[in-house]
Amino acid sequence: MNNLKSFTIALMAFLTLGFGASLAQAADKQHKAVYHLNSKDIETQQDVLRNAQNHLDAIGADKMDLRIVMHAGGVSVLRTAKTDVDLQSKIESLKLKGVRFEVCKKTLDRGKIDFKKDLYDVSEKDIVPSGVAEIALLQEKGFSYVKP
Amino acid sequence: MDKQMSNENRLSSEFLNAFVDNQLAAEEKSRAYMEISQSEALNREVCELRKLHDLVQLAYTDIEPPSSRERNAWRLRLRLGIAASVMLALGIALGVAFSTKFQPLTSDHAAVDASHGGYDEKALSVYTPVPARTPAATPESKVLVHITYDDASRIDQALQDIEGLLHYYRDRKQSARVEIVTNGRGLNLLRLDTSRHARKVAALQKEFDNLTFAACQNTLDRIKREQNTTVQLLPGVIVIDSGMAEIMRRQDQGWSYLQV
Repeated sequence: MNNLKSFTIALMAFLTLGFGASLAQAADKQHKAVYHLNSKDIETQQDVLRNAQNHLDAIGADKMDLRIVMHAGGVSVLRTAKTDVDLQSKIESLKLKGVRFEVCKKTLDRGKIDFKKDLYDVSEKDIVPSGVAEIALLQEKGFSYVKP
Repeated sequence: MDKQMSNENRLSSEFLNAFVDNQLAAEEKSRAYMEISQSEALNREVCELRKLHDLVQLAYTDIEPPSSRERNAWRLRLRLGIAASVMLALGIALGVAFSTKFQPLTSDHAAVDASHGGYDEKALSVYTPVPARTPAATPESKVLVHITYDDASRIDQALQDIEGLLHYYRDRKQSARVEIVTNGRGLNLLRLDTSRHARKVAALQKEFDNLTFAACQNTLDRIKREQNTTVQLLPGVIVIDSGMAEIMRRQDQGWSYLQV
């Protein structure tokens, strides 16, 4: 009788533990935001990086899945970063906090941009088939849309 | 010792042991009582035997139960382990279900708080809450594209992006709807008298029947009021009561939102 009681208590504890663990796990990436960057204007580009940084600081980087999707003129921020150390450090700081910089393949193809040579720190996994479609897709997955 | 004792007594040591162990039949027992009460030596022997018996019992309770508990404990531990795993999995599943259900709400609130920066034109962030969706409901992608400017090169880029998006869905044979909502100066794109992209708009409308161009009634009313002009729109353009209301409605219905 006593055994049964502690057995049940133990089971309930495990149930709670599992529930809590998965909740905490989900809470880790509870906040999802996609930043849209299609402007070639350097000030707008700086706004995007700053807003993203502030957004992470406010929510906590460990709780956020933040993506910056670049297409059209927006891709030029990574071209500028090739030679701009200040811009590089801003991008690096965001990447260290888990921010992903996604680059539109259509834009690369259209502008004949070689992401390995022309852009700062872009690899194959950062390329998405269409920046616009990616933004729509991420919203379908629960990401909030932010356009600074 | 037993042998020595049994020599002295008429009762065998087996008999006495059986007596102490309470394993005698009622008849034999009463005979034993009789004998024991009559013999001092027998009495002492039974007393000794009882003590021994109790000691063994005591040792037995000390040793035996742990061994049986051990075996049971293993079984119990195994069962507890299995049950715990099941409960853990159940808990995780519940947790995931629970958090998925309530996730968009909290993230939206947080994002609203975070995106408040300066309120000047430059730093103004467009914030759009994304409602929870039911993934199994429809695989159709729905995208609302918002246009508020009439800068020719930006409009060029926007139309190119929209065309690219429609091709993206067509290439993947993915069912999709795209709605272009114009208000403010963005509405110039769809005015018969001012549009510099009338041909492009017509070509897109012709090529994609899942594409809609919409003009904001509020803007039309304002132009009428301020410029006393009744705006003529391009063919096939629909009029919506309010661009902003349409944006909110569509997002409530699960549409994605974009400003290109």
